[in-house]
Amino acid sequence: METNRFKQNVFPMKYFYTIAFLLILGCQSKTFAQQKITVTGVVYDGSTKSKQTLPGATVLVDGKVVAQTGSEGSYRVTVNSDAVLTFSYIGFQPVREKVNNRTVINVTLTESSDTKLKEVTITSGYQTKTKTLNTSSAVTISGKELQGQPAGDVISLLQGKVPGLNIQNNTGAPGFRGSVTIRGISNINVSGEGNSSFLTPTSPLYVIDGVPVDDNADYSYGFQPAGPGVSPASQIPPEEIEDITVLKDAAATALYGSRGAYGVILITTKRGNSKVPVIRYSGSAFLSTVPQLRSVIGGKDERLLRIAQILGNDTSAYNAIDKVNNTPFLSDSLNAYYNNSTDWQSYFYRPTVNQTHNVNISGGDMRFNYKVALGVIDQSGIQQNTGYTRYNLNMNMGYQPSDKFKLVGSLYNSIQKQQTGSGNGLQNEGVATGGSSSSLLPAPSLYSSVNSVLGALTTDNDSKVLNTTATVNADYEVLKNFKIGSYLSYTGVSSVKDNFSPAALNENQSQYYTYNDRSTTLYNRNQLSYFYSLKEKGEDAHNFSLFAFSELRSSFFKADAILNQQGVNDQLRGPLTNVTSYISSLGGTVGYTDLRTIAFAGAFSYNYKQKYVVDFNYRIDGLSSSGPNSGYKKNPAISVKWNFNKEQFLSKLKWLDYGDFRLSYGSNITPNGGIYDAYGKYYGGENYNNSKSVILDTSLLPNLSLEPTKATTYNAGFDLGLFNNRFSLAFDTYYKQTDNILKNKDLSATTSFGGISDTQISNVNYGWEFMVTGRPLNSSSPFKLSLTGTLAINREVLAQLPDGLRERIYDDIAAQDQDTYYRLGLNSLSNYLYNTKGVYATNRQVPVDPLTGLPYRVGAKNILNYFRAGDPIFTDLDGNYVLDENDKVIAGNSQPQITGGFNTLLQYKSWSLEINTSFTLQRDILNNSLASQFANFGNPTSMGNLVPLSQYNVWAKPGDVAAYGNPLDFIRASIINPFRYSQTLFQEDGSYLKLNSVKVYYTLPQNFTSKYGMNRVSVNATASNLGFITNYSGPNPENVTTLGRDYPGGYPLAKQFAFGLNIEF
Amino acid sequence: MKNIKYTLQIGLALLGSVGLFSSCKKNLPDARLSIGNDSQFTQYVYKPVLGRNTLFSNNFQFGSSSRPLDFKIVNMRTFTGEPAPELTAFYPVMVWKQAYDGTEKSIAEIDAKRALENHQLFEIRPHSGEFLMWAAANSNQIKAQPDSGYVFDVEMSNSGGRKYYQNLRLLPFKERPYEPSNLDPIIGQGPNVSVSPSGVNITGERGQPLNAGTDVRVVFKRNGNGNSLTFKFSDTLSNPIDPNKFAATDWANLVHGFNMVKTDKYVKFDAAYPIPLSTYPTKYTTLSGSQARVVFRFNRQAFGNVLQQCFVALNFNIYQQGDWEITFQFLRDKPKFDND
Repeated sequence: METNRFKQNVFPMKYFYTIAFLLILGCQSKTFAQQKITVTGVVYDGSTKSKQTLPGATVLVDGKVVAQTGSEGSYRVTVNSDAVLTFSYIGFQPVREKVNNRTVINVTLTESSDTKLKEVTITSGYQTKTKTLNTSSAVTISGKELQGQPAGDVISLLQGKVPGLNIQNNTGAPGFRGSVTIRGISNINVSGEGNSSFLTPTSPLYVIDGVPVDDNADYSYGFQPAGPGVSPASQIPPEEIEDITVLKDAAATALYGSRGAYGVILITTKRGNSKVPVIRYSGSAFLSTVPQLRSVIGGKDERLLRIAQILGNDTSAYNAIDKVNNTPFLSDSLNAYYNNSTDWQSYFYRPTVNQTHNVNISGGDMRFNYKVALGVIDQSGIQQNTGYTRYNLNMNMGYQPSDKFKLVGSLYNSIQKQQTGSGNGLQNEGVATGGSSSSLLPAPSLYSSVNSVLGALTTDNDSKVLNTTATVNADYEVLKNFKIGSYLSYTGVSSVKDNFSPAALNENQSQYYTYNDRSTTLYNRNQLSYFYSLKEKGEDAHNFSLFAFSELRSSFFKADAILNQQGVNDQLRGPLTNVTSYISSLGGTVGYTDLRTIAFAGAFSYNYKQKYVVDFNYRIDGLSSSGPNSGYKKNPAISVKWNFNKEQFLSKLKWLDYGDFRLSYGSNITPNGGIYDAYGKYYGGENYNNSKSVILDTSLLPNLSLEPTKATTYNAGFDLGLFNNRFSLAFDTYYKQTDNILKNKDLSATTSFGGISDTQISNVNYGWEFMVTGRPLNSSSPFKLSLTGTLAINREVLAQLPDGLRERIYDDIAAQDQDTYYRLGLNSLSNYLYNTKGVYATNRQVPVDPLTGLPYRVGAKNILNYFRAGDPIFTDLDGNYVLDENDKVIAGNSQPQITGGFNTLLQYKSWSLEINTSFTLQRDILNNSLASQFANFGNPTSMGNLVPLSQYNVWAKPGDVAAYGNPLDFIRASIINPFRYSQTLFQEDGSYLKLNSVKVYYTLPQNFTSKYGMNRVSVNATASNLGFITNYSGPNPENVTTLGRDYPGGYPLAKQFAFGLNIEF
Repeated sequence: MKNIKYTLQIGLALLGSVGLFSSCKKNLPDARLSIGNDSQFTQYVYKPVLGRNTLFSNNFQFGSSSRPLDFKIVNMRTFTGEPAPELTAFYPVMVWKQAYDGTEKSIAEIDAKRALENHQLFEIRPHSGEFLMWAAANSNQIKAQPDSGYVFDVEMSNSGGRKYYQNLRLLPFKERPYEPSNLDPIIGQGPNVSVSPSGVNITGERGQPLNAGTDVRVVFKRNGNGNSLTFKFSDTLSNPIDPNKFAATDWANLVHGFNMVKTDKYVKFDAAYPIPLSTYPTKYTTLSGSQARVVFRFNRQAFGNVLQQCFVALNFNIYQQGDWEITFQFLRDKPKFDND
């Protein structure tokens, strides 16, 4: 077992097959010399949808390599006529073919399915293990499943494929990422107000080829308008990805310690593995089309509706006529300025044609391999003036001069450019206000009154992110089974954002916002590993392995921004300016972090004949952001597994491929806050006794025992494979407790400090996850069908609030008044709304105060304040016959609770068809767009777009049983506020089933393509984001904020139709 | 047999893991409501006037307690600590079943919107903490000021716990059956016999404008237990003035009464009590709806050939049912109805 040492490797499965193959060959006895013939043929890759050829596959006779396939997968050998040829390739099942005097033998190698579990490897905790020995909850998605669908952010393609990984692509803005959470939310803090409220993101930690990349840092989300919002994970194009592993429980993530509390996603990129250099090109052109937008009334209909509304509902007929006559856009219908039917949304949205190209050259074998990949994606957003361009040049190289030493180096470079129009990318206020303008106004021009449109169209917003990551990894086997290794990685990211707003928008003086940041990360990990086996009856029975490492990370981030006002003209955009004062330049450092972490970790693993597996992990972390009194953090993890199919008594069951139970417990942390939270902020004051004084900023009291956020997970799992891998099932149930969630707490003025950063919030997620795969067709059938279904049920409970509070309300100070209610024992993010129970059909339905004889009312005892027929029925919770703040109720959960998806792959010869769907159930959406459109009826003399009433069940006359109240009663609209945002009427069920993508692949016949010097050509057509099955009344139940608010400024998700071409030379 | 044994083991392992995870849920806090320390009554002394429906609103600050809350009056006692059965017993009171809006066409229609129900005379609204006193409470049963009244406690509770507010005071005033009132609130006796009208714009026969405060007075008088309201006018010698002389009066919309009888001595309506029935603003009330408003008008040609729009107006409430008579007495001078 010389080769055991390679277990620690990045691609150990390569070696497994080699070993297995060598072992098989070892059993061969002898061959008979016969007449020699020449055999030719082609080796195909049966696992690809398009049946690619396989360059670099070895052809063996009697265990000796006699040939290797060329760039087109073809080979030519001269062997005995009765020889047995064995075709092997790393990661594939070897195929043995008897020659029997044939001269042409074409072979298709497949990834062996019946041994899938046993040989599939899982990387977790920087170690790679076979799945049999993996005790934790992890799911690996092959990079093949992510091909053919152009995307700026590769993670969005995982939607519905991994149970427990909840991806909501809540923005269609190119280059931005949706929200990604593993096993529920880990932070309950809400910031912002109204439609811009957002939940503090808790994206998992991304580990790209062994190097952690933090995604929660800085301005990478785009909520904060300060910087560009480009996800660090989006620098890897989908075409370069070998596989993605999602680690869900703490036993798997334990060794990622100081930032693993939100889960870990491992991304492995492709390596060169062909002796003959191969050039692969894959590219696609894709059309992004504008999805269904909101429906509005246009032109004359809008005017007539408004006039009819005023005449029918005003206090008196004379007043109504006066009102119409005093409103030029209603009365002056012949005025060209008002006589329009402008579809405002059309000025913002357009279909675009985009493209992506990737070229890579790769080659090599185990000893030396290399890959250089060049990629570009150029995507124009369907919203005007938005777009995303990424160029990347990724290289990796592996060199193994001897069996004992290995060196791997890689370099990732990317340039990402982004245009976000006048918004911050995720949301666009300008589009929201412009798109909801009255249709009577003329189309946008410099002289139009709708400046937001002009703003969205003419603002220059350019962001650029340069990202360079260099990694070197060396491994050396000092003694047998004892290895030491070291990782060193440096990441440098610099971002700039320039936002130029022309003079026409800013009172004839242009405005120029410039931002730049610099972020560097130095990462070093030194590790050692040891493996030891005790034999029992000649086989390895007791297997021990020990793994230890130290980890050092230093990251620095600084962002500066300046707002130059009073530009001379639109042409001068340089580094301005003669600003009137420093204050008006609004410049300064807007973000600064300097974080050091150090960690020591160890892992011990034991298994008995791979039947019983026990893992212990222990990690000690020191964080510079924690308070000095909080000390080093210790995170233990323990997990056990019982592979019961290896038990003697079950060995008779031929239909049982594998089966196991897993149990795990562990904890993880993630840093909280910045250095100021723990140590305070100091600045220089006036002289005192001739020396400078130093003053502590009293806005924040230093919290000397600031703790990092800690996640503790219990996990129980169950895996089963049946009937020769035709059916497999993975089930997990978990309990995840997140403690020490950071929250700023106000302090009493007597302390002389404004507040303190405090970590006293906890929440708990528990849930169940299922993943079922079926391959119902016979393996000999020309059709291959694979069906996968995932389902994750997540329940989240708030477990602790600061200072023993049992509940808290996050008060939304915006007009939307959509408060968030935190109550222990409930889901953390409950909407706190007025409960709407329908519409009063008649006046008699309005409840009456038995004492005063007065009907239910809003506010004062004015005659207009009493509810009447056509008004919404709001619950009077406190029973005082007056609707007020105290009548709000806890309603709904803004977070998705059930997620999953169905994926189908059907293959027939050189055709393959893939259909991906995903679903989200039990999620409540606040339809703020509809609410604002209805509310526009409340003011018929001001301009704003109107919703076509015929599409909604609206109260029109006494006796009508309706869902929506009377929108036409504008006199009382400002008092009753029947279409207030904060009511359950606009809280709708956001469940949906989404058709993510349909992909069709076809591989052109090789005898045709080889005429043109191409080895393999396949084409694919992909349609993505095709549509939804949903009860939601808005355009898209997924395209809402993380707090479930549908907002007209949201960036719609484009429908995408791609045509792709893959060529291999 | 052996297989069965292992099946059992597998089953047990499964059950065990399910048990493990269901037991984790036990440690989670239950979703109960909470009682905040900052929930407080903003008013501890309540002084209703007997004989009227009185509502004390905005008297409780919810603070951080979660809604809905339950309120209960407990331990109602006299100031000396004796029990107060008159406030814990149930009495028939008139409650509104439908909203009064001033469009009713008869007393029967109004009465159809009301019904008798048994209530305690002093109640707390069960979820809002508002106090209310029913009109059925009278000073024969209830200790009114100058007595020291009653003391009581309030229990506030929800699923998160309970909290007691102690020693709230109820200090009712004696009945004042009409407003504006000439009766002293505490002793219930009248230092005056009359009140002033709300507005007067009338010139006397002797050529001087009449002053609302001193020259014209209004006397309320209850003649029986019926359901009527009579308006009378009398001159300086207490001789009746013909109501028809107030020719510009909008008799049909004067009060929410029915079956108007107008003679040369009085004008009489059948009316439902109290007047006004509620504070809902109608054409019979002031703008706020809190009082009924009657305006008796006539027009005359004044000196210099100008039109003088004369009126005498009264904003009033009558809380007690009966045959009420309101007399406008012109003390100093008769109104001048003739043209100059």
